[in-house]
Amino acid sequence: MKPFEEQFTAWVDGKLTGAELAEFEKQLAEHPEAAAEKGDAQRLGQFLRSHPTTPKLTNPDFFNHQLMQRIAAETPRIAEKTGHSFWSLPRLLWAGAFSMVIAFALFRTTIPTVAPVVSDSKYFAQVVEAWPSDPSISATTVYSAENNVTVVWLDGLDYIPATYALN
Amino acid sequence: MPRRIIAALVLALACGALAFAATDTVVAKTTTTTPAPAANKIWSALVVATNSANPKPAPLELREFEKRMNRVFGYNQFELVGSNTQEIGEQGENWLVPSKSFWLGLKARRALSKEAQGGYLLSLQLFQDKRPLVDSEVKLAPGSPLFIRGPQYGKGQLIIVLQVQR
Repeated sequence: MKPFEEQFTAWVDGKLTGAELAEFEKQLAEHPEAAAEKGDAQRLGQFLRSHPTTPKLTNPDFFNHQLMQRIAAETPRIAEKTGHSFWSLPRLLWAGAFSMVIAFALFRTTIPTVAPVVSDSKYFAQVVEAWPSDPSISATTVYSAENNVTVVWLDGLDYIPATYALN
Repeated sequence: MPRRIIAALVLALACGALAFAATDTVVAKTTTTTPAPAANKIWSALVVATNSANPKPAPLELREFEKRMNRVFGYNQFELVGSNTQEIGEQGENWLVPSKSFWLGLKARRALSKEAQGGYLLSLQLFQDKRPLVDSEVKLAPGSPLFIRGPQYGKGQLIIVLQVQR
């Protein structure tokens, strides 16, 4: 059975009929003040229907869109307030493992693991500077990495005949 | 104690142990790979390079340089005029006299750079008789010879060879 207030509202609106109306009017006899309010209630309903307080939306879709955006923008703030840190335990462990891998890679790549062996060296002599003693002499440095050799190439020297005793 | 703090402590300990191990390894490598300074020698030679239809084999002292000199200078016969070996002293001046006509004044100090691999920084002065021909600063290491292309001699070329020996 519907509560009295609900039946009263339906009665005021004229929606009660038949047995339901007869039953309600019996109850109404016990509430004479309610019967007296019928006129006031009907006038108020009429007034509210003729003067709606809710403004009519010109673009309801846009309004909904704005509303949804606002809700979405405020959602992370609510999440932050829950107190969860970015550095959860799994993330902390992953970061640690990643750091270890980086450290190991740096260790392997930056620190030589084998002592340099001189006999297998690809080092070749370097001429830092060469100053000819005479302006007519020129000194050029030639590096040959392929032959692992360095040459100081002197030009402008006097020819020596084969008869000259070198020893 | 929260699990997160325990994990952070374990991580910090692991990183510390890794850093300690790396440092320890570097120290060990440095200790084991730094040789005690050896008394090295420098070998010098005066060579006559010529082209011959029937080239004679190079003398034993020049065998290791023969192919390289052939490729670099284009001659096929190499004769040793003279050679001289001196201990490299870091005090004062040394003289390399592979022949009475060509000789070198030498001041040496150990090269500190890693890539020099136990070599020397040499101040060289090449003389022909008493006439200075060229002054130079050279880094030399064992196994890496220096050739000086000298004057034309007859139909060939004079070459001075320098090599650090252990």
